Amino acid sequence: MGSFLKKDLLVFWRDRKEVLLALFLPIVIIVVLNLAFSGLFDNDAESVNMNVGIVDENEHSTELEQFKLRLQEMDILEVEKEALINQASAIKPSELIVEFFNDPKLKEWIPYEKVSEAEAIKLVEEGDLDAIIKIPEGFTYDVLSSLLLEEDSSTPISILAAEQSMELNTLQNVVNDFIDTLNLQFALGSTVGADLEEPVLPQGGREVVEGVETFNISQYFTIAMSTLFALFIAQTVAMKTVTEKRERVFNRILLTNSNPLEYLMGKTLATFFLSMIQMLVTFAVTQLFLDVFPGKSLAFWVGVIVIIAAFALTVSGLSALFTSITLILNDSNAASGIFTMIVMSFGVLGGSFFPLQGLPVVFQKIGEWIPNGLTQTVLIKWIQLTSVQDLIVPIIILIVFFMACLVIAVTIFPRRGRV
Amino acid sequence: MLETINLSKTFKEKKAVDEIDIYLDDGESVGLLGPNGAGKSTTISMISSLLKPTSGDVKLNGKSTIKDPSEIRKVLGVVPQEIALYEELSAYENLHFFGKIYKVKKGFLENRIQEVLDMVGLKDRQNELVKTFSGGMKRRVNIAAALLHHPKVLILDEPTVGIDPQSRNHILETVRKLNEDHGTTILYTSHYMEEVEQLCDRVYIMDHGKVVASGSKDELLSILSSEDTIQVQLSKSSDNLLEAIKAMKPVRRVDETSDGIRIISKKDSSILNNLVHAAEKEGIQITHFQLEVPSLEDVFLHLTGKSLRD
Repeated sequence: MGSFLKKDLLVFWRDRKEVLLALFLPIVIIVVLNLAFSGLFDNDAESVNMNVGIVDENEHSTELEQFKLRLQEMDILEVEKEALINQASAIKPSELIVEFFNDPKLKEWIPYEKVSEAEAIKLVEEGDLDAIIKIPEGFTYDVLSSLLLEEDSSTPISILAAEQSMELNTLQNVVNDFIDTLNLQFALGSTVGADLEEPVLPQGGREVVEGVETFNISQYFTIAMSTLFALFIAQTVAMKTVTEKRERVFNRILLTNSNPLEYLMGKTLATFFLSMIQMLVTFAVTQLFLDVFPGKSLAFWVGVIVIIAAFALTVSGLSALFTSITLILNDSNAASGIFTMIVMSFGVLGGSFFPLQGLPVVFQKIGEWIPNGLTQTVLIKWIQLTSVQDLIVPIIILIVFFMACLVIAVTIFPRRGRV
Repeated sequence: MLETINLSKTFKEKKAVDEIDIYLDDGESVGLLGPNGAGKSTTISMISSLLKPTSGDVKLNGKSTIKDPSEIRKVLGVVPQEIALYEELSAYENLHFFGKIYKVKKGFLENRIQEVLDMVGLKDRQNELVKTFSGGMKRRVNIAAALLHHPKVLILDEPTVGIDPQSRNHILETVRKLNEDHGTTILYTSHYMEEVEQLCDRVYIMDHGKVVASGSKDELLSILSSEDTIQVQLSKSSDNLLEAIKAMKPVRRVDETSDGIRIISKKDSSILNNLVHAAEKEGIQITHFQLEVPSLEDVFLHLTGKSLRD
């Protein structure tokens, strides 16, 4: 079997096109995807950085007095009037907004200064400000009417900018979230009679759980691309059988009296080593140049190698199956088509093209049982510091998949005279 | 001795090989001739155990090889028509791989590789990749790979197709040496009649899946002993004269050649007189006249109605 293994590895290595496709293409794609998507997915503070001017045209005390005057004129009980006046006096809408932007965390990525409208427009034109948040005249009166008398709001906060951008969208979302939170908390506060609490700061839509590391898009691309390209190796090695058949090398092998299963096992082992090498090279190069897994321990890397080895085993089982199918089918184009379809289906369902979370639950469940999907899930969990025990079951599943493929491949491997 | 008994192969109701009986005595060199599609390659595939016959048997020293082909594989070397080598590997790497799977013992393999490379004249090019070789050199490695396990019987399926004269001579010389010096039994198929005439003691001629003739060169030539082949050169060509010759009673066949006409006729002393008269009648002068000794090519043409390279 060693001779077959050596031959298959040499044949693969001498095919420069295949080597480039298998070893360098995934790395190139990972780098390109990282460059293309880092701005979209990166949630660090540096990704949104806006200088904002707050123009406050609201006259709080005057508008509060106007609101009180209106209450006095209303045909309601004195007790109710008094309660509403007390509540209105406790609410300072424009101050709440300014306090909200004073929060140190928010100030890191949206620093602000209070300016007049004319000054703000000038600063925007000069490029010193990215956007203006305008609190209009009558805002206090309007908010109090809306919150206490349940009237429709007619004086909204406006956001002005020179041009539309992702940052501007983010700012709009931040302000909207704040207003929504304010409304909700006031509604809850008025129901239970509690004091108005400070609204919770939005966290950019990302849940942060103490003690658990999250994975980022670079890590996803590294895992997804390396598993996908490893699947292609199964196809590539199996399709070499077509050349061997066409050029009658396979017949020459049959005439040597060697056990045909040695031929099959040669392909299986060669695929195991090649996919292992391909994945390790991809992980090593992306780590070296992109620092995809920063500050990880030796134990983490050992775990990665174990998971990769288990996945390489399943890829080799798939290669054995593909090889047997190639020998059975007389039409090499049909064989190639079938393999491409299988690999691409695995790619889609296993989440190699986009994260499984984007798919319906049924597909997510299926994806978790497909070797590359399972491997991807396990590796992501491993990045998030799962325990070693959590690796055992997935690795057993991968080994079972390999065994099943190998048994089928051996069973359908053609007997003499059928090739 | 290797023999086939009523060997037949049918592909989807088409009989590719139809009950053929051929045999190869130890140390013999036998030619297998036939036009394209005659069934030669199918016969070779069945003899070499790559293809199961529909009926009939292949026997090695009286023992059937159909059920258990391991014995024949041990003593058989097959040089296929195709270059059955890994183009991405060097000549040495190819031979090393095939030697290993032929289970040539480790201690002997290195020497044997050098021996066979020497035999085919490629010892100094052994580390170059096969894909960089000329067609002739590839065919020589193709032969070397079939010799690694010291086969007693060597089957060569058109081993000199499309190669340069130097490589062709080298291959013919190698096959001759294997047969004469090493006592290797040879089954040789070729499109080149002169190769078969030069190398083989006996010849089988196949057509439409059947053996239509067999025997030594002299025995086959005797098939044409009742006929004469006459080569005639004329001062000018004439369709009328051609028709007149075809109409002559003993004439079996008339072909136009590059420098005249070729007549195959039953032995008849009047043919020359009749030919001269017919030419005079058409005002044409016979510039050259030659009575040819029949060749195997003539025998082949006679039996199959086709030239060997058709």
